[in-house]
Amino acid sequence: MKVDIQSLGTFNSLAHEGAEQATAALCQMTGIDASVEVTKITLMDRADVGESLRGREFVGVQFGFEGELAGDTVLVFEDGCADSIVEALVPGGAGDEMAQSSVKEIGNIMMSGFIDGWADYLKTTIDHTPPTYIERRGHEVLPTGSEDGADQVFVFKSEIEWVGEELSFYIYMLPAQDSLVDVMTAHANTEDDAIPIDKLTVFNEMTTEGTRAAAEHVSMMTGVETEAEVSRISFAPIEDVSKQIDSRTYVGTVVEFDGTPSGYLMILFDEQSAYNIAEELMPTETDGEEFTAMHESAIEELGNVMTSGFIDGWANVLQTAVDHSPPEVVHDMGRAIMDPLAARVGMNQDHAFIIESTMRTDEIEFESEIHALPDEEELRAALDDLLVERADETEADIEQIFQT
Amino acid sequence: MKVYDGDTNPAGDPDVKSDTQIKVGIAEYEVTANGATLTTSGLGSCLGVAVYDEAACVGGLIHVMLPSAEEMTDANRAKFADTGLAALIETLEREGASRERMVAKMAGGSDMLDFSRNGTSIGSRNVEQVEETLAEFDIPIVGRDIGGEHGRSVRFRAGSGDMEIKSASEDATTI
Repeated sequence: MKVDIQSLGTFNSLAHEGAEQATAALCQMTGIDASVEVTKITLMDRADVGESLRGREFVGVQFGFEGELAGDTVLVFEDGCADSIVEALVPGGAGDEMAQSSVKEIGNIMMSGFIDGWADYLKTTIDHTPPTYIERRGHEVLPTGSEDGADQVFVFKSEIEWVGEELSFYIYMLPAQDSLVDVMTAHANTEDDAIPIDKLTVFNEMTTEGTRAAAEHVSMMTGVETEAEVSRISFAPIEDVSKQIDSRTYVGTVVEFDGTPSGYLMILFDEQSAYNIAEELMPTETDGEEFTAMHESAIEELGNVMTSGFIDGWANVLQTAVDHSPPEVVHDMGRAIMDPLAARVGMNQDHAFIIESTMRTDEIEFESEIHALPDEEELRAALDDLLVERADETEADIEQIFQT
Repeated sequence: MKVYDGDTNPAGDPDVKSDTQIKVGIAEYEVTANGATLTTSGLGSCLGVAVYDEAACVGGLIHVMLPSAEEMTDANRAKFADTGLAALIETLEREGASRERMVAKMAGGSDMLDFSRNGTSIGSRNVEQVEETLAEFDIPIVGRDIGGEHGRSVRFRAGSGDMEIKSASEDATTI
């Protein structure tokens, strides 16, 4: 089964359009000002879907849909968001039951528009179930999805920002993988730029390996047991690439890597994580909470070692040399860090693959994000060079799958 | 692209006008005819360019990513300095601004993380292209905060023409 870049682009804009329409319906009904921040398609471990919702309370409106495309979709509101919507609809307050039915009704109208958009494009009918209202914590707000055997799944996610309120809501679409694959195959325009999905899956495993290697280096250097958490590969328009990072300030290192593929690798720590992990690296405790030049140089050293771990991990699997430039230390707005790299990649392509992973530890407040931005054509070439021994292989074994 | 022409402020209360805040995303532009504040963030090599006609109280802000649309197939004009500025200026004129009275301010175009081994950085090329395109339209640049090695966020008050620039490490400046 292959997926071509063009249809990934088409499906991404379809999901984006759908989210735009759903948001317009919400704005019209409530008078609030909201805009779709970003839409992306991500291939990730089924178990990791919704990981970014961790630790927060949500209100969700879920639907199932059936037809040429089947699966589940859910509108996810941050808790405060749902209250504000109810307030906009029923000023002065509403009882619990009325509040729930308001949110459910809004959800119904929004998601009908979203699903109809897909049906129009696919020139087919897609039926959806009545909405279900739920209140859950973290990823539990998402439907579990149909168990169709796939370990890694494509997920469509739109993030919608409530302008001026610092509140967000999300639209997740979790298509049944068989049905998505059929639709993608039927609507593929060209075979020239097709990427086999099983190889993309292997690429995710490679990222996990790379992150694990980087995490081991962190543990060795700091004595803090650190674990690789989530690895995923996303596809988004080039102008949305820098929105993969939130609007906080980050500290970290950036390198350009060169080989098949070439591209950029960023290892980023939010300021608190950077401070905490740098303290672990430094021989003596510093006075005060300020992030000093000493902290920055500790981060540089750490970033350097993590980069080597990550890139060596890739190179080992690809059986090729991947060189990288000396790391540049950055301490800036996260999105501004990503911006020039996205622009550089954007000189040759409209969309980009973004390889992301995170590592964490429970010992201290620490999280690190790794983002790689490979050249699309070279990524495709790297995937072409991978040899999948048996097409029916369900458990990807990196040793066996990659040609040596 | 949306044009904010005062529908949200039917009473015409000047205090309300200045409270309106509109976010401009990457490769987007927005225009206001009621003195709203236009904001954009995460400018690295990208450029935020404000063009406005103070007398007509019409202004716009664009967040451009790359210098020129030439040799690209992308249909989004706002992504590029040359086509994006042309689109912004057309929209400003449609909203009642006069090209003769228009002036521009810009911020961004940093050289941070420039791995190009030869040639100029994307940030510098963005700045050059904006200068060239604005010169073609005969629009003077009356303020700039460009280059360096840091990111920026911008708030453009279309009512006064003030552009406030913030960065992670430096104090805010207004041009």
